[in-house]
Amino acid sequence: MHTVIIIGGGPAGCEAAYQLASDGIQVHLIEKNNETGGNLNNWYQLFPDRKNAQDLNKRLQEQLNHPGITLHLGMEPSRVEKDGQGRFSVSLSDGSLLEGDALLVATGFKTFDAKRKEEYGYGIYENVVTSVDLENMFRNHAIRTSKGDVPRRIGIIHCVGSRDEKVCNFHCSKLCCITGVKQAIELREMLPESEIFCFYMDMRMFGPGYEEMYREAQEKYNIKFIRGRLSEAAENREHQVQVKVEDTLLGRPLRVTLDLMVLLVGMEASNETQGMARELGVKLAPSGFILPLDPHYGNNLTGEKGVFITGCCSAPMNLTDTLNDARSAAVCITRYLNMK
Amino acid sequence: MGDILKRLREDIHFMEGFNSCMNCGVCTAICPAAEFYNYDPRVIVETVQRGDEGEIEELLKSDTIWYCGECMSCKTRCPRCNTPGLVIMGLRKVSQELGYFVHSEKGRQQYALKHVIGESVLKRGYCVTPDLVKPEMHPEQGPVWEWIYEHMDDFYDRVHGNLRKPGAGALRAVDAESMDELHRIFDVTGGTEFLNQIESYSREKAEEEGTDLEEGYFLRTYMENSGNHQ
Repeated sequence: MHTVIIIGGGPAGCEAAYQLASDGIQVHLIEKNNETGGNLNNWYQLFPDRKNAQDLNKRLQEQLNHPGITLHLGMEPSRVEKDGQGRFSVSLSDGSLLEGDALLVATGFKTFDAKRKEEYGYGIYENVVTSVDLENMFRNHAIRTSKGDVPRRIGIIHCVGSRDEKVCNFHCSKLCCITGVKQAIELREMLPESEIFCFYMDMRMFGPGYEEMYREAQEKYNIKFIRGRLSEAAENREHQVQVKVEDTLLGRPLRVTLDLMVLLVGMEASNETQGMARELGVKLAPSGFILPLDPHYGNNLTGEKGVFITGCCSAPMNLTDTLNDARSAAVCITRYLNMK
Repeated sequence: MGDILKRLREDIHFMEGFNSCMNCGVCTAICPAAEFYNYDPRVIVETVQRGDEGEIEELLKSDTIWYCGECMSCKTRCPRCNTPGLVIMGLRKVSQELGYFVHSEKGRQQYALKHVIGESVLKRGYCVTPDLVKPEMHPEQGPVWEWIYEHMDDFYDRVHGNLRKPGAGALRAVDAESMDELHRIFDVTGGTEFLNQIESYSREKAEEEGTDLEEGYFLRTYMENSGNHQ
């Protein structure tokens, strides 16, 4: 019987583990945290159907009860070695050793550290939060300013850490646009009296139902979309946030005072993704994500034989695409093992 | 490619300042000039990006390119690492080379700058010296300046200046050898030719309007204000 070692227990790693185990393959799933789910653990509701993110998480967790899957929680691979027969041995942080016939890297993304855009004031001004912080506020059903008031004017800032040469990120994180739309609608539902603005450059509604959701945000939820990128923010004496943008559709510079500013932080390759790439000698794209062997036919393959990739370690992906990508990786690995 | 675009691409400021623009408006949002004038650096970069010679020519003949203070705030923010301020420098240079600056009120002020600062550099080695700031031309300087101007030699003696005299000290006369060197630098780098160009295009315009370049035309560059800049 063949064994596959999966590194990373986010949605991609979990789904791939289940698919491989269902095909009769022995799976070791390594996860650094004490629970699986990865970044999904930080999310409240999903787009476009507003499903509770933890329902999906729970389902993915339940799938791991498959007898073919051995879960290694709270573990990190400290060393990976490959022998002449193409077998991998992975040393874990507790000193134990796993052996496998193929390796699947599912180490995912991290959200952009908003402090790197110092001019936006995250960590400096009291009423600047990230989209991740906001999900947490949604979970606690408490949208408040630092003083505990209901924010009467909220601005959602798109493209924070994405499409920005100034922070060395040329890539589009793809998911922030629809996240902004979803969060604007959630805010509207909780705060029917507040003004809600989205400051965007392009609305990239790439998934099914996304464009419809954007339209609904405008027509039904009265979200105001202003086409202009945030230049900088300042804090006034009341700890409100004053933003400078250009309304590019009117061709006028604009200053808006906000009670709460939400930064839609983009996605970068996680430290573990970059670490694994180094350890395995796998190439990175200029974006910092792992470069697949071929963008069409080989997006789960790397230049290293027996090393496969899935999920957001290779590019920003929504959950639908991540789960599809995990199944695709499972197919590639099964074929590889059968040919061995 | 048209003549204007060709000239722009030969300009090092322009080439350094222009990659590609996604019209995000960050430059305009940070631009101090955009707060006061009817001015939008994003639109300028977009006009250049479209590459229509006619549109760019119109831009070179307009007040628009002269509103920028070249503070380079835009450089610090652009997510594509463009510098609209450098694009403006390139546009200004072509406007000066082709004589388009005489078509606009703010452009015509090039002559005032050449006449006052440019000539001052060549005559004295200073952009501005106190005796050039005549109170009647600079009412914004107020009565204190007027008093200093009237008692200039005494005043600069009291503050330990060495106004227009040989030797060391602030505001001293620049020696002949240094002035020779300065003139050579202007000749070799094209600075002299550049100033002559400003002069000759302005003279043509003055003649066309039947005014004297150094009197009526010069004064007009100081006094003229259409009030259409905001």
